[in-house]
Amino acid sequence: MDITAELKKIVGGRLSVSPSELYCYSSDASQVKGMPDYVVRPKSTDEVSRIVRLAYENEIPVTARGAGTGLAGGAVPVGGGIVLDMSGMNRILEIDIDNIQVVVEPGIIQDALNSALKPYGFFFPPNPGSSAMCTIGGMIAYNASGMRCVKYGTTRNYVRDLEVVLADGTVIHTGSKMLKSAAGYDLTQLIIGSEGTLGIVTKASLKIAPLPKTRKLVIASFENAEIAGQAVVKTFSNGVIPSACEILDRVSLQVLKRYDPNLVLPAEGDVLLFEVDGTESSAREAAEQIMKVCAPLTLSIRLAESEHEMADIWAARKLVGAAVSRLDPTKTRIYVGEDVGVPIKQIPELLKRAQEISEKFNLPAMKYGHIGDGNLHLALFIDVLNKDDWDRLNRAADLIHRTAIELGGTVSSEHGVGAARAEYMEAQWGPALEVMRAIKKVLDPKGILNPGKLGL
Amino acid sequence: MKNMKNEEKKEIEQVKEPDKTEITGKECGKQAFEVDRRSVYKCVQCGTCRSVCPVFDVVGWESANTRGRMLIIKSLIEGRSPSEDVLSSLASCTTCGICASKCPAGANPPEVVEAARTQLVKCGITTGAQDKLKSGVLTHGNSFGETKSRKHWLSKSELSKLPEKSDYVYFVGCFDSYRYPEFARKTFGVLQRFGVTLLPDEQCCASPLLRTGFREDAEKVMERNLEQIRKVGAHTIITSCAGCYTTLKNNYPEELRVISLPEFLAEHLEQLNLKKLDLVVTYHDPCHLGRHNKVYDAPRKVIQAISTLKEMKNIKENARCCGGGGGVRIGYPDISLELAKNRLQDVPEGVDYIVTSCPLCVRNLRDAGGDIEVIDIVELVAMAME
Repeated sequence: MDITAELKKIVGGRLSVSPSELYCYSSDASQVKGMPDYVVRPKSTDEVSRIVRLAYENEIPVTARGAGTGLAGGAVPVGGGIVLDMSGMNRILEIDIDNIQVVVEPGIIQDALNSALKPYGFFFPPNPGSSAMCTIGGMIAYNASGMRCVKYGTTRNYVRDLEVVLADGTVIHTGSKMLKSAAGYDLTQLIIGSEGTLGIVTKASLKIAPLPKTRKLVIASFENAEIAGQAVVKTFSNGVIPSACEILDRVSLQVLKRYDPNLVLPAEGDVLLFEVDGTESSAREAAEQIMKVCAPLTLSIRLAESEHEMADIWAARKLVGAAVSRLDPTKTRIYVGEDVGVPIKQIPELLKRAQEISEKFNLPAMKYGHIGDGNLHLALFIDVLNKDDWDRLNRAADLIHRTAIELGGTVSSEHGVGAARAEYMEAQWGPALEVMRAIKKVLDPKGILNPGKLGL
Repeated sequence: MKNMKNEEKKEIEQVKEPDKTEITGKECGKQAFEVDRRSVYKCVQCGTCRSVCPVFDVVGWESANTRGRMLIIKSLIEGRSPSEDVLSSLASCTTCGICASKCPAGANPPEVVEAARTQLVKCGITTGAQDKLKSGVLTHGNSFGETKSRKHWLSKSELSKLPEKSDYVYFVGCFDSYRYPEFARKTFGVLQRFGVTLLPDEQCCASPLLRTGFREDAEKVMERNLEQIRKVGAHTIITSCAGCYTTLKNNYPEELRVISLPEFLAEHLEQLNLKKLDLVVTYHDPCHLGRHNKVYDAPRKVIQAISTLKEMKNIKENARCCGGGGGVRIGYPDISLELAKNRLQDVPEGVDYIVTSCPLCVRNLRDAGGDIEVIDIVELVAMAME
């Protein structure tokens, strides 16, 4: 069958087989590579359904892609085939304030959704560092979260209903606008985080939250990251739940200062950023409590002076991961081993081990992340023109993954497994992985949906 | 499931991306693609640029955003043979630089894209539009291929009075010489009192050649202008075109003092005796004046001295491109105009004029067909001098 002609019948000019175009869809922000054979940009559920049915009948792999900001190769077509660029399906279909939810197509950008919700006084809380460019579809596929997860949870906590195209092209809905349901398996939760291996999301109903009246930011510095980790544990055990709790080690601070020289950040130590939100009085009370609890452990501690200062610090923090070249132009940050997580109590131990791994392999590193939910982003950077650097990098990443599992944690807290971390699924899940494989087999018997991912 | 890698390749390779651009040239063969690797490898593919690239906003394909362009260039320096296939990506960048201003890694994609275009030119891989630009500049000294005198807008008596020596040269540029001679006349009218002169045989500044990859040809054109500047003995070059400005300032020898018309006007406001106009205007930052050279305050100072300024939605380093630069207007006019239309969305309500300080921006924004008249800053100043 002439697949190109058939795809053209479905999407017309929104098909490309140009080698350069295919190359642009052969990677995301990870090191995983895989050339597609076709890229299509569907505009409707019907088009997606027809494309997937065509692929099913001809046993062609189909990989859905949002903005391609993923860090695990989830959107990379490692088995070739069709890439579905979903970013053109980006409409907000309904803002239903009475039911506190919004219905969107998967290509909508997170920030664009929140800009649209702001006039109503609401927001969609999960906020990855890539919120300016990542799509809601990608966030659902990888159960993305971000800095405010510690209070607001992950994408998983906000999805009410999904429209999904199954492997044979059938379109189903997995939920409804109901707040709760006791009828049957929760297919919504099954699809979230399934990385496009069980179906293609074409529509989503999302719960939204009222914007807090105010936010406050406490900036505290510590002698080392381990002590900072202890401060986090102490804060939580004192009953304070911040809306964000981030760690930035001293290398990350240097990078931030290069990125935005106007930022007023502590001159020494490793830093914690505690954000609290709520009403003016509740936020102030929470901020004061954090300052009181942490003070005995800190080198310095203060409250951000203005909303403007807070906004600048968060904007810089969001982009710190990619900014390492500002410190040393010969070094590039490579996203491997960057998303491990452990139970909160194990954070000081993870920080200590991460430092040891960085030293053992003689790799400069930034340690930053959502320490409030146990998620550490270890940023290793290398000279990409040096082969030895690559070798040490991969060995260090392997060790950090195995360390997280050993500490009862996960190889990925919010970026997903994709192809980059597939080899650790067995070690993390044991026999539970067989259950996942069985589910995959039932929903995708021909194995056409995003093959090569999740260790399935 | 089939492995697609070897299936249907033959027919796929025969399918050509729809592209209205006339393309000339052939595959390059094994010649090394020389672009500074470090500049390319700074890109970590995070996609930040994807959210701001104005061309991508209109086109929608990954190859039409900065990350896509960086990836394609990476593939070329790593050994993929350059071919015409890359043109619709690399030739469609306006070099507006908003990606560079947002890039967390500090990459400078416009520089990388220009370097890649230079390599493509060496391989003989160019669009018909590029060739037309080059031919116009090399044959007639201007990017339009116009044959009439560059100073046709001056009267014979004005011509005869032009000083041979002066501290100041007004570099007119191709656009004001041939498309907006009224801007040239007004600019010259303002500058004349400061004793400026014109170059005896001004050539295109070479911006169109540099931006589209004809570096070697550009060197020759720049040298012809330089010789004349030295002969006139000028220490300062004044220009009202953002494209000329960035080229004269950043591509010509450093000893040249180059100043944009808005900067010159801002410096000499008191001597100009301008009256206050009862007008509310907005200001569009030209990419090559603003983001590339950080000239943000001078035009605003001039505007605020004579009228009321109401800012656009995105300004200064966040200003969106009008689509006129980087060879995109001539190579991809449809895309270029869509960019201009998008920029007009940023215009606030209740303004009498959209003011800018670049003739390329004037043309593109005018052609986008908004309700509000687009004028050059010199026209506003001329109104205040009447």
